[in-house]
Amino acid sequence: MAKNENTVMHERNIQSISTKQNYAKTFVKIGVYAFLMLMALIVLFPFYWMISSSLKSLSEYKLNVPTLWPKTIVLRNYAEAFTTANLGRLFANTAYVGIVSTLLSLVITVLSAFAFARLEFKGKNAMFAALLATMMIPGELFTITNYATINEFGWMNTFKVLIFPFLVSVFYIYLLRQNFMQIPNELYLAAKVDGCPDLKYLWKVMIPLALPTLISITILKMMGAWNSYVWPNLVANKKELQMITNGLRNSFTDAAGSVNYPVQMAAVAIVSAPLFLVFVFLRKYIMSGVSRSGIKG
Amino acid sequence: MVDSKHQWKAWLYLSPAIVLLLVFTVWPIINTVRMAFMDGYNGLAIIGGAEFEFGIANFQRVLGLSSFKNSLYNTMLLCVLTVPISTLLALLIAVALNSIKWLQKGLQTIFFLPYVTNSIAIGMVFAAMFNIVGNMGTDGNDIIITAGIINNILGVFGIEPINWINAGSAYWANITVMVVYIVWNALPFKILVLLGGLQSINKQYYEAAKVDSTPRWRVFTRITVPLLSPMIAYVVITGFIGGFKEYSSIVGIFGEDMGPAGAPGRLNTIVGYIYDALPKMNYGVASAAALILFGIIFVVTMINMQVSKKRVHY
Amino acid sequence: MRKRIVAFLLVMTMLLSFGALAGCGGKKATTANFEVPEVGYDGSEVTIYFDHTMGANLQEVLNLHIAEFNKLYPNIHIVHEQVGNYDDVRDNIAVELTVGNQPNLAYCYPDHVALYNISKQVVTLDSLIDSDIVVTRADGTTEILGLTQEQKDDFIAGYYNEGKQFGDGLMYTLPMSKSTEVLYYNKTFFDANGLTVPTTWDELEALCQKIKTIDPNSIPLGYDSEANWFITMCEQKNSPYTSATGEHFVFDNETNREFVAEFREWYKSGYITTQEILGSYTSELFKSTDTTRSYMSIGSSAGATHQRPTKGEDGKYPFEVGIATIPQADASNPKVISQGPSLCLFQSENPQETVAAWLFMKYLTTNVEFQAEFGMASGYVPVLKSVAENEAYAAFIANADGGDYIAALSAKRCLEQESAYYTSPAFVGSSDARDAVGLLLQTCLVENGDTDAVLDKAFKEALTSCREGS
Repeated sequence: MAKNENTVMHERNIQSISTKQNYAKTFVKIGVYAFLMLMALIVLFPFYWMISSSLKSLSEYKLNVPTLWPKTIVLRNYAEAFTTANLGRLFANTAYVGIVSTLLSLVITVLSAFAFARLEFKGKNAMFAALLATMMIPGELFTITNYATINEFGWMNTFKVLIFPFLVSVFYIYLLRQNFMQIPNELYLAAKVDGCPDLKYLWKVMIPLALPTLISITILKMMGAWNSYVWPNLVANKKELQMITNGLRNSFTDAAGSVNYPVQMAAVAIVSAPLFLVFVFLRKYIMSGVSRSGIKG
Repeated sequence: MVDSKHQWKAWLYLSPAIVLLLVFTVWPIINTVRMAFMDGYNGLAIIGGAEFEFGIANFQRVLGLSSFKNSLYNTMLLCVLTVPISTLLALLIAVALNSIKWLQKGLQTIFFLPYVTNSIAIGMVFAAMFNIVGNMGTDGNDIIITAGIINNILGVFGIEPINWINAGSAYWANITVMVVYIVWNALPFKILVLLGGLQSINKQYYEAAKVDSTPRWRVFTRITVPLLSPMIAYVVITGFIGGFKEYSSIVGIFGEDMGPAGAPGRLNTIVGYIYDALPKMNYGVASAAALILFGIIFVVTMINMQVSKKRVHY
Repeated sequence: MRKRIVAFLLVMTMLLSFGALAGCGGKKATTANFEVPEVGYDGSEVTIYFDHTMGANLQEVLNLHIAEFNKLYPNIHIVHEQVGNYDDVRDNIAVELTVGNQPNLAYCYPDHVALYNISKQVVTLDSLIDSDIVVTRADGTTEILGLTQEQKDDFIAGYYNEGKQFGDGLMYTLPMSKSTEVLYYNKTFFDANGLTVPTTWDELEALCQKIKTIDPNSIPLGYDSEANWFITMCEQKNSPYTSATGEHFVFDNETNREFVAEFREWYKSGYITTQEILGSYTSELFKSTDTTRSYMSIGSSAGATHQRPTKGEDGKYPFEVGIATIPQADASNPKVISQGPSLCLFQSENPQETVAAWLFMKYLTTNVEFQAEFGMASGYVPVLKSVAENEAYAAFIANADGGDYIAALSAKRCLEQESAYYTSPAFVGSSDARDAVGLLLQTCLVENGDTDAVLDKAFKEALTSCREGS
């Protein structure tokens, strides 16, 4: 009897502990979600504020007590932003530089990665180590001389200067080489035996297999062009050549007028939109590329 | 496999990369070192026939300049503040994300959003959020037309409007805004990497902990953090490297003046300092500053690697 | 792999140090003194590149006169380009100089010339000005290559002498068009409230106080350029600012600290703002119809049209603008800054190019019609006395009012104070001094804390930054 009671007590105890644990679990779960929601809210807030502000009239924006959502939606801000910042021109310039440099960069990267992954030549390892070593040096160190060099070439204020200096990315070569190395060597040797030329093999076999990496590189490179600011600002700051970020920053600080914040926010929204679209559709590639690179753009 | 045809071909494939690297990477390295050791090297003076003495005068000058010291201080301060804060926050978010199922994908996407933005453009949004429209910096004669959404939100908690970035704003206020923005910007990458790391941790460790009914906190400090340490080391190192090159986030918020009205240059960084010297053709000083930056990054990376060698649990 | 990387870095470092040792030494030096070819201009085909900041309407005037010039010299082809603003011109040319790719002729400010001079590529004009070589023009007439006494005398003396303020007595520039700072005031508001235009800074302070009581939400005065304000105050109080010789930076003294402290008090009382503090030209505040506005604005006389409010729906200006001389320390001895572009010549391989560029430069600066038309189109003041007698220009000035013809009103005020113009010395570092005092004034206005401490810190920092250079 006593023994029996004991077991019952024990069972009860276990039960109460487990309900306690359940409570605690739920409590923690709620806490976790609350924390995540709060952080998500903070992360999203600037985007919300950008859109909300971009739709307000200037007088509504300047209200002492701000409205959370515009009372009257002013879409005209977007049209005005487009003309004030001359966004059409900036889009075209950026797209041109982005596309040309991405294409050239892909060709160079693929060829180099192929050479490092599949071909044997003297000094291959030393050369590869040398390339990796350059990755440790901050890009700002190159800027000074590159500034002088492109000046010497007479490239100041041309599109060339926005395309050529940064075509080769050691990191992308490294990334793609790793990817190529995973493709079994037998495929290559078999192709050799069949008398298939290198380039054809590269095109038919390796590129399709490494496609995800190539897409990642393409997106990151395009995003790089879209976000580049410092170098263009130094070497190609003429209106006809301006890239989107430079134009955006300058057209709202150079202006003689006081800042029209809603229009400015509209311009920011327009500039941010393509990045979001790319992100929505190609999230997987961006995330996988990014997690390996640790660099922005 | 090594035949002469391949040798030739390999170099052919590599040639575009090699040519570009020689011109835009290798030569700059050599030239930067050369210019850094030529006293007062200036692009204009060299046309005028000036000769420069060889020595370390540029380094001495740069290190003695108050403007450079100021830049160095700002850079270090931002690094020291933002890297730990963003890493810790990212770690908490990643662990939280990893512990839930419902909404995980959606939240993960939201947390990644800041990554796909333009740091100048969104900097302008942050500036607008902190900006007071009006006339600031007077003695009780300030005119506030609208205090900015951040001040409005703080106002709900009874906090008087703070002059964050306008004329007369305090240094700590400027730095606070920069820290908020830089952390916001740095979170996505760190969350992505840490979450990736968490998801690859073997579930058995946690099962074992469950059996022993180890408290959550101990699980976190004794299992999660050690197992995640390579990833943490990685985000810390990249965080420091990025932090020492901080520039465009400040341009985003304060514009190229690198400071609030009345104090331009107050928030300048090492990279900003280098860029300022370029249009004046002061290549010698700029090169010295760039080498110092490289030195700092190199040392910090090495220290980090040493520390992680001892601490990181592979 | 890591060992390899480290080894590679070591080898690189060693190589680099050798490269560094071997790589010293400068390029060729060239003398700045231009030797005029014995034949003067020989009529050969040359192309002259001219960098400036003219907008489309001014280029129209320029193009018309290039056509006129080409009637005289058909073989001198002028290629001109708007490079952006003055700073863009400076930055571009500085870069181009390092590779010998500079234009022949350019818009310049004295500070820019001091910078270019590091490269010794600016042509000194003395030998050209003094040359009496006779040049035959395409229409059969002749002129001497240099300037006649008459031409020299026609320049407004203050402007002409600006070209020699480089400490070595040599002439580097000729004035192109000039402007100064003027006080724009809301005449309608002044009349309605019975306010008088201030002639001294003391009057201005009293006036600001009065305006603040009438409209507490206003910032009575906006001053566009902090640097100009500081430098002009030095000039007006006859207190040191910079010196071309000896110790360059002499602006840290009691008098200067005193006026800065005074302005600080004004700022803290909400009387004034400046361009950098406001974040836009102060004309924006002056023209504004919002609650916060200003009733006075001190800015460039060439920017008069920007100080005029936009017409309302009734087709009328919301208020009339008045223009006056800026307030003075001593109204009987007024001082106003002389600004606006000059022209300078650069060395080129072919001396004929230099001579041809000189001929064009001379045309632009001494041709009365061009100076008159350019003045009317730009709002800048012509640099020749005889322009005042030009019919079209005289009619333009006669039309002056505070509305549609505000540019004429501004030009008229400028001409009235011709004798008050001053310039400050230019030397390597003079632009640093300018930047430093502008920043100093800004900081002293807004920085919080004890006035003496703030001033002391700001003056010391300004001095350090000047001495350190950049």
